Amino acid sequence: MEPASRLDHNHELSVKDLPYIVRWRDDRCKRCGRCTAVCPMLSIEPAVVVKRLVQSEGMTPEPKAARVVTTMVKQTTNIDRYCIGCGTCTLVCPNEAIEPEYNPQHKFNFHKNKGGHPYRRGGRRNDPLPSTLDRLRFTRISMLTDPALDAGRHEFRIRTYLGRILPAEELPVKMVNGKLEADRATGRFIPPVREIYPVIIGSMSIGALSPTMWEGLAMGITYLNEVEGMPVVMCSGEGGMPQRLLKSRFIKYFIPQIASGYFGWDEIVRALPHMVEDPCAIEIKYGQGAKPGDGGLLMAHKVLKLISEIRGVPMGVDLPSPPTHQTQYSIEESVAKMIQSMSMAWGFRVPVYPKISGTRTAKAVLNNLVRNPYAAAISIDGEDGGTGAAYNVSMDTMGHPIASNIRECYLDLVRHGKQNELPLIAAGGIGKKGNLAANAAALFMLGASAVSIGKYIMQSAAWCHGDEMNRCNVCNLGKCPRGITTQDPKLYRRLDPEKVAERVVEVYKSLDVELKKIFAPMGRSMELPIGMSDGISTDDHAIAERLQINYVC
Amino acid sequence: MNKITLKGNIDGKRTPSRIFEEEIQDAVRQGAREIEVVADGQQGLGGRIWPRGEAVKITVEGPVGQRLGSMGMFGTEIVVKGSASDDIGWINCGAKITVLGDVTNGAHNAAAQGTLYVQGSGGARCDTMTKHNPRFDPPQSWYFRDVGDTFAEFKAGGIAVVCGVNPRNPENILGYRPCVGMVGGVVYFRGPIQGYSEGDVRLLDLTDQDWQWLTAGMKPYLEAIQRNEYYDELTRSKNDWNKLVPYTAQERAKKKIFKMSVAEFRSNIWESGVGKGGIFAEYLNHPVTVLPYITTGEDRRYKPVWNNYKYAPPCEYACPSGIPTQKRAQLIRAGKLHEALELVLQYSPLPASVCGEICPNLCMQACTRSQVDSAFNIRELGKASLEVKAPKRAKKTGRKVAVIGGGPGGLSAAWQLALKGHDISLYEAAGKLGGKLELCIPRERLPQEVLKKELSRFEEAGVKVHLETKVNKKKFEEIYKKHDAVVVACGAHKPRMMNVPGSDDMVSAYDFLKGINIGRVPKLKDQSVVIIGAGNVGMDVAAQAYHCGAKEVTAVDIQKPAAFGKELEIAQALGTKIVWPKFTEKFVKKEKKIYFTDGSSLDADVVVVSIGDTPMTEFLPPSVHTNKNGWIEADEVGHTSDPKVYAIGDATKLGLVTHAIGQGRKAADAVQALLSGRSYYMPAKKPLVPYEKIKTAYYDICKGEPFKPETEANRCMSCAVCRDCKMCEATCYYGAISRKEYEDGSYEYVVDENLCIGCSFCAGICPCGVWEMAENI
Repeated sequence: MEPASRLDHNHELSVKDLPYIVRWRDDRCKRCGRCTAVCPMLSIEPAVVVKRLVQSEGMTPEPKAARVVTTMVKQTTNIDRYCIGCGTCTLVCPNEAIEPEYNPQHKFNFHKNKGGHPYRRGGRRNDPLPSTLDRLRFTRISMLTDPALDAGRHEFRIRTYLGRILPAEELPVKMVNGKLEADRATGRFIPPVREIYPVIIGSMSIGALSPTMWEGLAMGITYLNEVEGMPVVMCSGEGGMPQRLLKSRFIKYFIPQIASGYFGWDEIVRALPHMVEDPCAIEIKYGQGAKPGDGGLLMAHKVLKLISEIRGVPMGVDLPSPPTHQTQYSIEESVAKMIQSMSMAWGFRVPVYPKISGTRTAKAVLNNLVRNPYAAAISIDGEDGGTGAAYNVSMDTMGHPIASNIRECYLDLVRHGKQNELPLIAAGGIGKKGNLAANAAALFMLGASAVSIGKYIMQSAAWCHGDEMNRCNVCNLGKCPRGITTQDPKLYRRLDPEKVAERVVEVYKSLDVELKKIFAPMGRSMELPIGMSDGISTDDHAIAERLQINYVC
Repeated sequence: MNKITLKGNIDGKRTPSRIFEEEIQDAVRQGAREIEVVADGQQGLGGRIWPRGEAVKITVEGPVGQRLGSMGMFGTEIVVKGSASDDIGWINCGAKITVLGDVTNGAHNAAAQGTLYVQGSGGARCDTMTKHNPRFDPPQSWYFRDVGDTFAEFKAGGIAVVCGVNPRNPENILGYRPCVGMVGGVVYFRGPIQGYSEGDVRLLDLTDQDWQWLTAGMKPYLEAIQRNEYYDELTRSKNDWNKLVPYTAQERAKKKIFKMSVAEFRSNIWESGVGKGGIFAEYLNHPVTVLPYITTGEDRRYKPVWNNYKYAPPCEYACPSGIPTQKRAQLIRAGKLHEALELVLQYSPLPASVCGEICPNLCMQACTRSQVDSAFNIRELGKASLEVKAPKRAKKTGRKVAVIGGGPGGLSAAWQLALKGHDISLYEAAGKLGGKLELCIPRERLPQEVLKKELSRFEEAGVKVHLETKVNKKKFEEIYKKHDAVVVACGAHKPRMMNVPGSDDMVSAYDFLKGINIGRVPKLKDQSVVIIGAGNVGMDVAAQAYHCGAKEVTAVDIQKPAAFGKELEIAQALGTKIVWPKFTEKFVKKEKKIYFTDGSSLDADVVVVSIGDTPMTEFLPPSVHTNKNGWIEADEVGHTSDPKVYAIGDATKLGLVTHAIGQGRKAADAVQALLSGRSYYMPAKKPLVPYEKIKTAYYDICKGEPFKPETEANRCMSCAVCRDCKMCEATCYYGAISRKEYEDGSYEYVVDENLCIGCSFCAGICPCGVWEMAENI
C-alpha cells in the first residue's frame, strides 16, 4: 500500500457522482457559518483554498505571482456525509449564497453501500412520475341532470363509517312502541361503528416521529374534533402512546396501533382501567406499503428516556419490529387471534381492523375478513406509502399500487354484495403530488371508504423537505432538519407543535372545501360517493380497463 | 286616465301567457295606465312595462302565475289581490309590487330596484341574489309574517324586512340557514330565529338610523297591505328588532379560519385535558420552548474543541524511536535552535548516525509536507545534532541496571537509564560499541567518524562499558544478582542458513559484512555473486560485493523483495539485479552455479545467504522464556517472563535500528517504573492525525534550497500541534475565539459558548488540524 501522505484523489468520488451538488457563491458568502452549523449531514464544511495569480504588467514579460489563501464552503465527497439536498443551508443563509442543486447524472446507487451495507433511507418511493390516482379525472358533472349543488352554499356531510355495517335484515333490532331498539336478547353481536372524517392521519409512531411532531398532529386533530366538529382521527403508529393521552377524553380521536414489536402495549393495557373513553379503533399492522414484507427498526440512539418509557423498554437498545407477528403465521391464526384479543380488551366496543401492504394477495385477506364478524375494516397501504426507515430496494421496488388493489377488493365485495359492510381504507401515495383532495376523492369513487395520509401531512403541516427526487429522506438517521423524525431535542425543538396543529387544521379545512368542490358538481353532498366509479375517467386506456372506469380523451 | 280590464280567461278559454303578455303590452302602448287583470295562472304579469315616464298601475285578481312583475320597471305598480306564485319580482328593475296574501318560493330573487310588499309569508329562497345598483335606491322586500328556508342567499344589496307577525313557524321566522353567501344589504327581522350563516353575516341591534328608516317605511307598507292596525305593535320598540348584516370584504379577508387560536386551544382545551406541558411533559427533561435553527451555548449541536496535540503528527507517529520532530521545528521557529538540537537526545543517543545516515526515515515518508513539495528534512536535522553534547544526568539514584549488548538497543536503554541517574553497566562481547552499526553497516552508508563521535558522546553519559565481555550462563547469573534490573539487547547474530545441498559452501550476510567492517575483505574481483534474500541487508551485501570488485551481483528472493530506500538505491545504482520468485534448489561450488527449482540457474562464484539472523540467547536462565529459535518473548516495552529482565531489539524480533532505539527508550521507562516501585502503564500511543486535517493550502511550494535549520523549520506544517497563528481567532465571524495566555507562558485558545454557533469554521481552517468539532452533549 502506498503511504497515505502520497495519495490524493485515488478512490475518491467527485460531486458529479452525488445526487445533489451544492452551489456556493463565493461573491455572496460572508463566511458566517450558518450553513455549516445547520447542515444535518455535515456535507458542507469550511475549507481553505489557495488562489494563485501570475500577472505581467510591463511592456515585456515581467511575471509577478500573487498568492491568496481564502476560506470557502466546500461540499464533501464522502459518501457517508453526502448532500441530501434538503436545503437547510439555503434556508438559513442570509445572503442567498448557497443552494443544493439536483444532479440528474448522479451515480449514487452505485456507491451508497459502503461497508457492505445496502442503502437505507426514510421518506418515500423515489418516483416523480404522476401516479395512477393523479391520472384520474372527475368527468361526471351535474349539468342540469342531477341536483346542482353549490359547494359554498349547500351543506355537506363528508363522513364515513369505520366498523362493520350489518345489513338491515341481520340487525338484531325490535320494535318497541313504534320505535326500533337493539334487541339484546338475541345475543347477537352488534359491531361497533364510528362515524369519522374519511381522511385519516395514518400510522406514524412516537419514535419514528419526534414528540413535537406527534403532539402537533394529535393537537391538530383534537382541535378539529373539539372546535370544528370535524371527526378527524389519527392512528398512533407502533410505538405506544403517552399515558396522559391514553387517560384523557381525547383518546376517542385516536387509533392505537399494535404491530409485530408490540411496543408500548403493556403500558396501554395497564392504562385500560383508567381510560375514560374508548379509542376510536384499533389497528393491527401486518404490513406497510413503503416496505412490504419488511420490518422496522428503531435505532438504539433514538431510544432515549421518552421512547423507553412510552414503549416500556430500556434506553439505548435497538427496537426491531419484525416483518411478521412471530407467533402467527396464517391469515386464520393472525386474524382470528389478534382481532379477537384486541376486541376483547375493550369489551368488543371498539372496532378492530388489520392493515396490510398493497399486494396481489390482498383479496385473499379480504375474503377472510369478510367472514370474520369481528373484523371492522381492512386498511391497504400501497407502494407509494412513506416510512421512517427502510431499504432503498424495498421502497423503490416492492409493493403494489393502491389504485388497482383497492379497486379489485371493492369489486370483489360488490360481487358478494358486501360492499357496504366492510369498509376499505386506502393508503399509499395519497396527495403524493399535492393533490390530496383529488386523490382521496378518486379512491372513494374506486371503492375506498376512507383514506390514510402520512407524507402529505408531514410535508404540509411540518414543512418536511422530502420529495420524490430523494431530497432529504433521512428520516432514518435521526437527523431530520425540520425536527419531524428525530429524537434529538436540539432538532425536534425546532418544530413548534402549535404550528403543526395549526397547519393540520388549515389542511383539513381546505381539504374539506376541496372535497366539496369535487362532490358538489357531481351531485353528492350527504353520502360519500364510495364506489361511484362512473364519476371518474382517465385518458389512459389501460388504466381505464384495469380499474373498470371510463376512458376519455 | 285610460282604464282597462284584461281577462286571462274568456268564456272558459284561457289565454296563453305569450298572448296575454302581448295584450297587456299592447294596452299600455295604446295608453292604458290603469289595468285590471283577471288572471288565470299566466306568467310574468306586469313585467317589462315601459310607459315612458308615466305610471302604470296593474291590479291582479285571480290565480297568479309565476314570475309576476319580473323585470318590472320604474313607474309600474302592481297589486295582487291574493297570494302570488314563485319568483315574484324576479330581476325587479323598479316596480312596486304589493301582494295581499302570501308569496311562494324565490320572491324578489335578483331584485335590483323596486319594492315588494307582502301581506303574508314568503316561501323558500326568497330575497336571494338581490342587488343594489348605486345609481338607484336599493330594492326593498317587506314580509309581514315569516319567510321560508335559505332566505337571502348571496344577497348582494337591498333591504329585507320580516315583521314576524303570526308566523307559520313560531320558532323561526327566517327559516333554515338564512343569509348564506350574503355580501350586501341588510335583513331586519322581528322574532325568533334558529341560526344564520355565521361565516357571512352577523347579528346586530338596530341603530337609531335603522330605526328611523324602519319606522318611516312601516307606515306606507302597512297601509299598502291593509294592516295599519299593527303599526303600534311593530314600532313599539327598537329592541324587538334585530338585523343581519354581512361582513365587509375587508372583514371577510381578515377573517381567520380559526374559531379559536391554537395557542388558546392548547392551554384551555388540550392541556386542561392531558395536563400541563402536553402529553409528553412527564418524559422530557428539557424546556418545551422552540429553538431557532442557529443556536449558541448548550443548544448547539456541535461545539469546537481546541485539541492541541491530541493526535500525533505523522513524523512522530511514524518514527519507531518516537522522536517528536514537530517540537524541534517549533523550538527552532521560536529561535531556540540549540534546544531543538538537544531535544532529540532525549529520544536517541545516535541522531546523527541513525536519523542522519542509516535510517530509512519513516518520519519523512509520512511527512505531510511532501503533499506540497518535499518532506521536512529530518535527516539533515539529525545530522545537525552531531556536535551536541550529552544532556546533564539526573541525580544519582544508586540503583544498578545492567545492559547486555552494546548495539543500538542496548545503547538506547543504557543512555536513557543513565540520564535518569542510575548506575549502568553495559556488557559487550565485541571490542567496540555499536553492534551491527559498527559491524555490518557498510562504511559508505555510515561514516565512521560520525558513529565515533556519537559513541563518544554516549560515553559522556557515564555508562560503565565492559567490552569484550561475553555473557554466558554463569556471567548472566552474576550480573542478574548484582543488578536491580537487566536489559538484554544482545541482538541477533546467528545467521539463518539454507537447508539445501551446497549450503555449507554459502556464506552468511552477517559474516560477509562483518568481515569487511573488521578488515577481512573478500577477494571478489571479476566474480559473480548471488545473494539469496533481497532485503535491505541483501542490498548492503550487494553494494559491498561491488566494492570488493565483483563483476555482477544478483539478488534473488522467493517473494517480492523487501528492500527499499537508500540501500536499494545504492545497490541498484551499482548494477545489482533483483530476480524473484526464485526458490533455491542447490549450489554446486564446483560448477560455480546455483540452481533454482524452476530449472533455471545462475553463475555464482560466491553465494551469500541473507535471510535474516537469529539471536543467541542460550545464556539466559529458564525464567526468561524464549521460543525455539531463541527469540526472547517480550512485550513491546521489553517485559519478559522474568520481572527483572527486559529484552529489546533484534533479540526479540528483527527490526530497524530505529526500532531498537525506540524499544530501548520504552524499556528504560518500564525499568524506571520498576525501580521506583510503581506499576508501569505504557502511555497510549496517540492516534495519527488524519492528513485531511492539515490545511496544505496555506503553504507555498519551496524550491530546493540548501538546508538551514531556521528556514527548514518554517517548512514544518506543525501537524496536530497549535502553531499559534491566530487564524481561528481571525476567521470566527462571531468573535467567539480568543487566545488565553498563562503566567508560565503557556497559552490556549478558548471559545465563548454564548457567541459560538458551532459552525466549524475554526476546525475547517485550522492549519494544524487542532480545532475539532465534538458533539455538544
